[in-house]
Amino acid sequence: MYNKLYLSCFSALFLLQSSALLAEDFDVDMANVEPKAAVMAPLATKALFTDVVTVGERGYAAVGDRGLIMLSADGQRWQQSVVPVQALLTSVYFIDADYGWAVGHDATILHTQDGGVTWQLQQFLPETDKPLMDIYFFNRQQGMAVGAYGMFYTTEDGGKNWQATFHLSLVSADDQDFLAELAETDPEGYLLERESVLPHFNRVTVQGEQILMVGEAGFVAVSDDAGQNWRRLEEFYNGSLFDIHRTATGSLLVAGLRGNVFRSSDDGDSWQEIELPVSATLHSIFEDDAGHIYLTGNAGALLQSQDNGQRFTDLSQPDGRAILNGLPLAKNLILVTETGIKLTPIGKSE
Amino acid sequence: MSINWLVNKIEYSLFRHRLAVLVIFLVATLVLLWRATDIKLDAAFSKNIPLKHEYMQTYLKHEADFGGANNILIAMCDANGDIFNASFFDSFRKAHDDVIYTPGVERVLVKSLFSPSTRFIEVVEDGFAGGPVIPADFTADAQGLARVKENAEKAGVIGRMVSDDYSCAMITASLLELNPETNLPIDTIAFAATLESDIRAKYQTEDLSVHIIGFAKMVGDVAEGAKGVVLFFGIAIVITTIMVFLFSGSMMLTFLPIACSLIAVIWQMGLLTVLGFGIDPMSILVPFLVFAIGVSHGVQMINSTGKRVAAGMDAKTAAQTSFRKLLVPGGVALLSDTVGFLTLLIIEIGVIRELAITASLGVAVIILTNLILLPVLMSYVKFSDKYKQRVAQPSVKADKIWFALSAFATPRYAAVILIATAALFGYGYLQSQQLKIGDLHPGAPALHEDSRYNQDTFLITDRFAISVDYINVMVESIPNACTSHDIMDRIDQFQWQMENIAGVQSAVSLSSVSKVINAAYNEGNPKWRVLPRNTQSLVQASSRVETSTGLLNADCSVLPVMLFLEDHKAETIERVVAAVKKYGAELGDEQTRFALATGPAGVMAATNEAVSAAQQPMMWYVYAAVIALCLLSFRSVRATAAVVIPLYVVSVLATALMTKLEIGLTVSTLPVIALGVGIGVDYGIYILSTMSQQLRDGMPVRQAYFEALKERGSAVLFTGITLAIGVSTWVFSALKFQVDMGILLTFMFIVNMLGAIVVLPALASLFWRTKQK
Repeated sequence: MYNKLYLSCFSALFLLQSSALLAEDFDVDMANVEPKAAVMAPLATKALFTDVVTVGERGYAAVGDRGLIMLSADGQRWQQSVVPVQALLTSVYFIDADYGWAVGHDATILHTQDGGVTWQLQQFLPETDKPLMDIYFFNRQQGMAVGAYGMFYTTEDGGKNWQATFHLSLVSADDQDFLAELAETDPEGYLLERESVLPHFNRVTVQGEQILMVGEAGFVAVSDDAGQNWRRLEEFYNGSLFDIHRTATGSLLVAGLRGNVFRSSDDGDSWQEIELPVSATLHSIFEDDAGHIYLTGNAGALLQSQDNGQRFTDLSQPDGRAILNGLPLAKNLILVTETGIKLTPIGKSE
Repeated sequence: MSINWLVNKIEYSLFRHRLAVLVIFLVATLVLLWRATDIKLDAAFSKNIPLKHEYMQTYLKHEADFGGANNILIAMCDANGDIFNASFFDSFRKAHDDVIYTPGVERVLVKSLFSPSTRFIEVVEDGFAGGPVIPADFTADAQGLARVKENAEKAGVIGRMVSDDYSCAMITASLLELNPETNLPIDTIAFAATLESDIRAKYQTEDLSVHIIGFAKMVGDVAEGAKGVVLFFGIAIVITTIMVFLFSGSMMLTFLPIACSLIAVIWQMGLLTVLGFGIDPMSILVPFLVFAIGVSHGVQMINSTGKRVAAGMDAKTAAQTSFRKLLVPGGVALLSDTVGFLTLLIIEIGVIRELAITASLGVAVIILTNLILLPVLMSYVKFSDKYKQRVAQPSVKADKIWFALSAFATPRYAAVILIATAALFGYGYLQSQQLKIGDLHPGAPALHEDSRYNQDTFLITDRFAISVDYINVMVESIPNACTSHDIMDRIDQFQWQMENIAGVQSAVSLSSVSKVINAAYNEGNPKWRVLPRNTQSLVQASSRVETSTGLLNADCSVLPVMLFLEDHKAETIERVVAAVKKYGAELGDEQTRFALATGPAGVMAATNEAVSAAQQPMMWYVYAAVIALCLLSFRSVRATAAVVIPLYVVSVLATALMTKLEIGLTVSTLPVIALGVGIGVDYGIYILSTMSQQLRDGMPVRQAYFEALKERGSAVLFTGITLAIGVSTWVFSALKFQVDMGILLTFMFIVNMLGAIVVLPALASLFWRTKQK
């Protein structure tokens, strides 16, 4: 991934020259993009879904393709919400039964105050052509949203205003030096380059004041003060990581590209690779009340660990469809997949 | 007056030169028989398409770039339910190659796991890798097969090239209209036979089953089944012959009408060949119809002649008189048939036009063979005294029956009959409004549900996510449209709207494929399954799609959205077409048009619309022709109404029957309605032509009807029943559409006869009421 990162830096620089000619067209094109309301669709639940969460006592919410946000009281019957945008949504978070936010492509941020029934657009930046990948709120006022190419937004007023934030500590050591140099010699170039040296931020997991964040090229970072200061962990893997999870017993698990899973029992100082029976890219890690840990991923990958993430058994779905996330619900799992939301009993499929 | 003069003139010249007439007929028959032996079954895809229809204009415009709708799907299934074994792959590869080298196949469009264009893309740590699903170094061992299985999954061809349960693999091919080597049209039936012998027979084993569907295969199977028509034709001839013998009681009088009717068939087939037509499997029934109509008129002729001979005339005079008496009603009836069939020409679908030509030609020659040749031949017949005695015996019993029947012409019975008819008509009219357009059942409607073709269809639709029932919406835009986020996004929105329409099973377009490729560029993460707004990134995603996928043309100005449908029922197609029009109008503009349609279901949509649009005008024209000819011959509005009203009631009832029996209005059933009118009008004209003169002379209606029944009643009853028995044997046919036609025609023959015997006199008693006083 490092190679790719450098390549993209390089091509970004290269494109700066050539796109000067084309820039006008694009700007005109994108400046005119108005958000379009999501279409109410009979087969909405069959679309690509990316995230599912609980909404206080109300039930569940799932987000996905084309601005689809679905609500369900029982995890079986889903109702489409009215959403003012058609972007592919990548993540949703509810701080309580009423207040929630969802993010997605075009740096979209949506907000609800009625448990997800209606949504208002807080941010829509089609000109960025970048997706936000995750969102978290510490309370009804303070929150953060992260995404591709190091996008990092924070708010102090419940999302009325979102500020783009740059943390030099999230840049790799090599690039930090490079940036520092550039800042002196070429301030304009510095601002542009800053946009492209950061990896994709894929997921944040928060526990109290501590935030864990994973991303592209083996990126793992920790903040112990609610995101004010960040510390990158020593690299132990060079592929993309898509989720990080702290188990009930305190171990850390990360999952990523091509079935790569690592486990740390010392708060991230050392990592052990976990052997898996599948090699599909993994998107999410979650845990049920019994302390069983689940991994979901491409090609129908679904794995369960009953020993705190040391060994996983293969419960992969025979349809081979990518599972982006899931949620335990009694003896079932709500799975959000590339072909819709489904409720599956836990256990080995025949 | 002028008609009489003309009839006399013809009669005089014919019977003066009887020998010359016979020689001319003999020579013509021999020549046409010789030509008729050359007749070929002829079926071409384009003949089944309403080429002038708006959708088909789109179809033709893009045919060169995207291939036609004439596709063949060959599924090969492993008996143990898993294709990943060496022997299967060996057979499958050979079959793939055989399909490529089958003449008539568009070679570059042959697709299967083995085609080089079947590629996969895979994400790895340092970028992403890809290659053909079956690698160049493929060996069919456990490792190699496992790799192919993995690649096939990565390539996203499960459901298309490999069945969802991995038990079958698919080869798809597109057929050319012309053979590039010979530049001659592809012989569809021969092509289907090649598939049978070179693919199915060659590769089907206990462990491997072969399933072939597609238009060409369907036509091949129909043609195969159509051969059974010869058998039904034979059965019909035997039944008819026996019936005619029972009716006439004379070998000679049996032989002559049958022979003349067969001569009509020979002439028809010969003339078709002379005119350069073949016979389409769909019109295979027409020769039988021609024979049936010929017998119907022939029986009138022998009936009339026989009665006159019995009354003491010599054979020649009797034949001559019958000729004079029957030329006008018979001629009018046959001309009505001819014109009725010709009205089918307004439907701009090749097969129906051929049917129109075939049928009208056949009926027209009956005028020559059964109204001219037959009486001339009969004038030579030596009637035995025994025969004369038998016929001359005053048939008290028959007269009693006829007299009883003539009560239909009394006001009391007439009132009851007319009220009952009106009630039936009302019911039939309501039912007929529910008539469905198009095919109502899954599979090929021409064939039975348990036919191999339909079983193959069910298997393929069951195990694969695709079928032959797809419709392509051609998005016609500016060159390089695939580099515009706006246009690509509109196509994507359109596709999503369509996927939400009931009956759409799945859909694919350059937009949806580009989204998946964009995700592949982003580590295979579905969260990147979007169309990049940035032109370079968009091009990066869309340019990986080759034109051979059928999702774009060379300059990216035409981007089809393929909609796979659950079935091809007319209502499904109608719903989808309506949605395409709605969302196409919403999302399209001057620059970007969502144009209907190509693909087999697109062709069906156009055909359904053409058939539905043709139904009303066709009926108007048929009835206009019948009414005009009746007015001309009867010179009476009342007489015309008495003939046409029962006919119309029967047309409506036949439509109601179609609704009841779930027979849709299609290319093959639409003509039956016109044929039914043509056939049905005969009875009424024969009955009323006897009555009308007598009514004009002031005879009471009942008396006039009684006289008509005595003279022609037996012939009318006889033909109705004979023809009905003949066509009713079709219900045993191997072809579903023949069964449908058999049922409809049986109904038409019987009910039209009843209309002429029961409703016509009732109407007459109403129309000529004043005269009765």
